[in-house]
Amino acid sequence: MGIVIAVISGKGGVGKTTATANLGLGIAMNDKKCVLVDFDIGQRNLDMILGLENRVVYDMVQVMDGEANLKQALIKSKANENLHFLAASQTKDKSVLDSDKVKKLVAELKESFDFVILDAPAGIESGYEHTIEFADAAIVVVNPEVSSIRDADRAIGILDSKSAKVKEGEEVAKYLVINRIVADMVESGEMLRSEDILEILNIKLLGKIPEDRGVIDASNQGKPIILDKKSIAGQAYVRIAGRLCGQKVDMKDIEISDAGLFKKIAGIFK
Amino acid sequence: MKSKQYSVKVYETVVTDELKFMEFFDSNYTLFKDHLILIQGSMSSKIKTYLKNKNLKYLNDIDLPKGRTRKALEEELKSEKVDAAVSKQIAQNELNRLSNQLQNNLTVLDEMVRSGREINIHGDLLLLNRVNSGATIKTTGNLIITKVVEGAIRCHGNFMMLTASPKANIVFHDVEVDNSLLEDRLNRVELKNNEIIITPVLKKEINWA
Repeated sequence: MGIVIAVISGKGGVGKTTATANLGLGIAMNDKKCVLVDFDIGQRNLDMILGLENRVVYDMVQVMDGEANLKQALIKSKANENLHFLAASQTKDKSVLDSDKVKKLVAELKESFDFVILDAPAGIESGYEHTIEFADAAIVVVNPEVSSIRDADRAIGILDSKSAKVKEGEEVAKYLVINRIVADMVESGEMLRSEDILEILNIKLLGKIPEDRGVIDASNQGKPIILDKKSIAGQAYVRIAGRLCGQKVDMKDIEISDAGLFKKIAGIFK
Repeated sequence: MKSKQYSVKVYETVVTDELKFMEFFDSNYTLFKDHLILIQGSMSSKIKTYLKNKNLKYLNDIDLPKGRTRKALEEELKSEKVDAAVSKQIAQNELNRLSNQLQNNLTVLDEMVRSGREINIHGDLLLLNRVNSGATIKTTGNLIITKVVEGAIRCHGNFMMLTASPKANIVFHDVEVDNSLLEDRLNRVELKNNEIIITPVLKKEINWA
């Protein structure tokens, strides 16, 4: 029986889908069976980022409506055989989802995978509510800026009131991923510090990802950045995936730029 | 009932010399054209027509509620030379009054108020956690919040206790409270004789845990 994790953010464009693709691949690299489900119906992107665009035959909505079975619709990743993908429908809209169908699909996926990761749409409409409804845990992706934090705060509030687990009196575990951190902007005070973000959102920190120019190219190529061992964002995703798989990985302080680190070391020898 | 609420800039003055008064408004027209002109004391029909022609809105002889700091109040007290013993007695009575009113249908909450949430309390509220940007707290009674507020507050009680909250939008009895008057500790905000008085109550931050 696997765990269902929803990747949410509230605001769009903070890196939900990129994080989903990279964490999925990271988990698969740890020899766990993982499936990624794109819940952004009508605006699917995950297939492109995974480089599986031209392999989509059946989508999630067709599976839920019984037009195709799950085995036919699941696509195996080229990069890792432990990673599977279920595409969203590009032609339908969010209104096709309903609770019973989502519940059935999620339960079925849980049977055969260790990790079921749901990529939520931006916003807090019905599509979002269906994504979080049957999740056991949520990964909240934010950028270090006020608008992203406020939208994430709202999304967490809705998660805490609409999730099926909460209605049964249990708690949904929530983990924070801070994406696109620029060390020298944090040092100069232009960017929010992660301590401040954690104080506002009050959830557990799962990891920090530095801004990395390689991410855009990696997405365009359909090869998630985690495959690039040299990239700093890729290394951050490796650490986070490790933590998700139960390893003890220390939090790396990426909020100190090389110049700042040098100053710190120089200060010790003074 | 439908109502709207505004914050306006008020320019308060007394007319002593009519010519000088008009001269002043002629030269500073752009500065005061969006202000509400409050004239204390008598004003002639000449002044009234002048203001009307200039399209300036005015009020005459009205006591408006204002936000004031403790310092201003203390200075006023000093100038009135109130006997120290008497004022101490008044303060004690005031404290007793406040503590009597505290336990009036009290709700105690220890949870984060996240963005988008609106809490309506009929009675008093003691909130032991932060209020995030985009959240709203409304109480008919007194309100005490021990952590920082970044959302909106609407309080109709006798007093509020708040810490420094530079991002908050605080409205107390339909009057917007200037957050810059809140110091970095608990502050008591209360309405006395139509005036909002803000008093920092504790020198040190207290530990509620």
